[in-house]
Amino acid sequence: MKKAKFSKLLLALMLVLVLALAACSSGKDDSAKESDDGDKTSEDAKKEDGLYSIEDFKQVKTNEGDAMEGGNFTFGLVSDTAFEGTLNWNFYSGNPDAEILSWFDESLLTWDESYVYTNDGAATYEPLDEVSADVLATLPAEEAAQVTDKGVTIKFQIRDNVNWHDGQPVTAEDWLFAHEVISDPDYDGPRYGSDFTNIVGVEAYRAGEADTITGIEVLDEKTLQITYKESTPSLVTGSIWTYPLAKHIFGDMAVADMSASAEVRQNPIGFGPFIVESITPGEAVVMKKNPDYWRGEPKLDQVTVKVINPNVVAQALQKGEVDTVDKFDVDQFPSNANLSNVEWLGKIDRAYTYIGFKLGTWDKETATVKPDPNAKMADVNLRKAMWHAVDNDTVGNKFYHGLRWNATTLIPPSHPEFHDETNPGLAYDPEKAKQLLEEAGYVDVDGDGIREDKNGEPLVINFATMSGGDTAEPLAQYYIQAWEAVGLKVELLDGRLQEFNSFYERVGQNGDDDPKVDIFQGAWGVGIDVDPRGLYGRDAIYNFSRYASDKNDEIMAKGVSQEAFDMDYRKEAYKEWQQFMVDEVPVFPTLYRAILVPVNNRVHNYTIEEGVLPTKYHEISVTQEEPIKAE
Amino acid sequence: MWKFSIRRIMIMIPQVILLSIIVFMLAKMMPGDALTGLIDPNVDPNTIAEKREELGLNDPWYEQYTRWVAGVFTGDLGQSFHFKMPVSELVWQRIVNSFWLSLLTLVLTYLIAIPLGITSGRYNDSWADRLITGYTYIGFAAPLFIFALVMLWIFGFHLGWFPTGGSVKPGLTPGTFEYVMSKLYHMLLPALSMALITTVSTVQYLRSEIIDTKQKDFILTARAKGASESRVYNRHILRNSLLPIAAFFGYEITGLIGGSIFIENIFGYPGMGQLFLNSILLRDYSVVTSLVLLFGILTILGTLLSDIILSLVDPRIRIK
Repeated sequence: MKKAKFSKLLLALMLVLVLALAACSSGKDDSAKESDDGDKTSEDAKKEDGLYSIEDFKQVKTNEGDAMEGGNFTFGLVSDTAFEGTLNWNFYSGNPDAEILSWFDESLLTWDESYVYTNDGAATYEPLDEVSADVLATLPAEEAAQVTDKGVTIKFQIRDNVNWHDGQPVTAEDWLFAHEVISDPDYDGPRYGSDFTNIVGVEAYRAGEADTITGIEVLDEKTLQITYKESTPSLVTGSIWTYPLAKHIFGDMAVADMSASAEVRQNPIGFGPFIVESITPGEAVVMKKNPDYWRGEPKLDQVTVKVINPNVVAQALQKGEVDTVDKFDVDQFPSNANLSNVEWLGKIDRAYTYIGFKLGTWDKETATVKPDPNAKMADVNLRKAMWHAVDNDTVGNKFYHGLRWNATTLIPPSHPEFHDETNPGLAYDPEKAKQLLEEAGYVDVDGDGIREDKNGEPLVINFATMSGGDTAEPLAQYYIQAWEAVGLKVELLDGRLQEFNSFYERVGQNGDDDPKVDIFQGAWGVGIDVDPRGLYGRDAIYNFSRYASDKNDEIMAKGVSQEAFDMDYRKEAYKEWQQFMVDEVPVFPTLYRAILVPVNNRVHNYTIEEGVLPTKYHEISVTQEEPIKAE
Repeated sequence: MWKFSIRRIMIMIPQVILLSIIVFMLAKMMPGDALTGLIDPNVDPNTIAEKREELGLNDPWYEQYTRWVAGVFTGDLGQSFHFKMPVSELVWQRIVNSFWLSLLTLVLTYLIAIPLGITSGRYNDSWADRLITGYTYIGFAAPLFIFALVMLWIFGFHLGWFPTGGSVKPGLTPGTFEYVMSKLYHMLLPALSMALITTVSTVQYLRSEIIDTKQKDFILTARAKGASESRVYNRHILRNSLLPIAAFFGYEITGLIGGSIFIENIFGYPGMGQLFLNSILLRDYSVVTSLVLLFGILTILGTLLSDIILSLVDPRIRIK
């Protein structure tokens, strides 16, 4: 009996020990695995297959077979959250809402591949030779002179056959009304900003000093003129508000109530190719065709936009639950590249990943960047060496199967007109990096293989980078190792990756820069306008590196000057700016990226070309009732 | 009993207040706020700064808290920043989905638990019992979120028997028979996944209760009086063994809330669990605090319910 008790005790004790051992060894296993992986990557480097290149992807779907009459189309909105349901261009803020909106409502102006407004859309525009005299008359003499000098009046003409879904015409009044609502102090969306303050009279209207916006003149039912205070090339690449708001519906509503109203959430209205039929809040929207669509009757009978959880996108595609999705995680592409029922379209994303150097702080008083000449990263050669030290092509190949690749300049090739292909940036060259560091005085004084700073003091650089995705950690480790290889000691800030919110807080999105951050890795999606002042300007809070110089201001100003209306001049200016950023390295771009979109084989006329899809929704058709399933 | 219930509800009030303060404070301590996600060079930073000021996000937490509490007392839970609609409306939209999902899960839980528990208890140490206890051990060990993913993959994708996301087929008119069936169809897999896991503790309870009761003197008496075996089990043992199960019912509701957070996210089912997690990620404070308040109240009500049921089914227990 006693013995039995003892053996039971022993058993329990051993169980505990086994657990403890298992816990220990699992840690060891992990580290062993890591080094295994390391070996594998070096092996992989030898064989170059398994890589993809964005150049092999088309942007337009190949049409196979014959299209049928009508049919349904299912668009998957990849998101782990429900969509907000603010279904009006004037109030929406999230991207999922925008994806839904574009099916049933559209911009009055369309744009071409270089993001300049065209005259093919629901409205046409034409800058007048002179600024409208009526508008100038409302201004004090001094301001009037300024507007005459720098401003421009643009005349807009909405096409006659452009009607809201309820049959009412889309009018110039509606367009003015959209401007009034967004400029209203009670407006709760994110759109009010410099694009609006650039219109004569908006600020007075917002302050309640005027009943209407004096800079917008409604000439007749379909024509209006807007006078902008300052005319720059950016104006016609995305700085005009081109979404009208139906005044016959929203006219009597208080501005504060609009975004939550049933007219936005349950029965949204537009003038696009499809009409919203039913909404399952947060999940799906079903639309039927708008036979009176101004570009012509859509070929599809019905479109369903539904939210798909990112975990299950690949399976949903495979099973033909959706015809296409708004975005597909590039990480998952290699295992799905051979899906038999879809065609993969691809293009270069309007985005880049970068590594930034903290060169100053944000001055809240003056709302400008305050460069600090004594910052740890202030030596340009140190920054250049750090760029030379990293091999981004390998990063792209290893981590992203070639679907991200080495970035050279701060204007990504998604802007083919402005991206300077001839500028190689700073290429991977660790020897050059070492040499630069030696010359700059960063030498290893105590012989531990790590360089000390110019005064012989230990140099430790704190690296802030975001968590998220499987690659975040190994990628950060790669960079740290690459820098160590040239003798620089870089450590993760607080020894770990930062969560998205805290990352941007510490990097300084509110101007409270954390002095502990020396370098950081971030990414920017760039706007359709190439003007970089919003990210690198002296007064841009998003200029996280806090770099500013007169020369930089000057070059960027060139790009939006009057002369820059001449395309070649503007290209030249941005070419100069790209080179300047390579010389100064306040940040350096690391990776450009691809967007991949799978489209079911039964779909015809689908495209992801910039600016084209919104004009082609009505032409999309299908060859059979149900999406094709993968074999 | 009324006295007891009222007293419990009175105790509940400070509990809920304390809970809401803690949650509000913790929520505010999270880095970032509702506007952090808006970081986008196309959105004017001044607009964001203005919005932040307007929403009072720069005020200290206790001021924001009192503002929110004042709203709650007037029946206004505030405005969801992310969804741009009143929180009460938003929660109502989702609570309906969650309610039906929870109800179905409960029904399934008991449908599975009772026959399994009885079989296992009645024929203990038989092969059937070993199989069933084997299942319960696996159920205890398997984390819900892994199990649900496996279920989703097998039945949703591999076999394709069930839809893999959403709460209803888009485009159906609410109220029609088709709509209700579609809802049920969408709920079945998530509910089953959760039920198969949550049921195991109930099976175990029932089993050990039955085994326990089997050896009681009154069962011996019943047998001695010549009651048939089925009568002994159905009338005498089962009724007595169901007591703790009934008492457990209220806590089951509490468990469902926790489970729904996983289940709804995995199955893309737009209920409160999904809303809760997303609101935390998006720093939509007014929604987070309102939901915690709601969850807190539900939990406390659940335990209250358990106590009341217990006092009803077991006359020996008197609540004073």
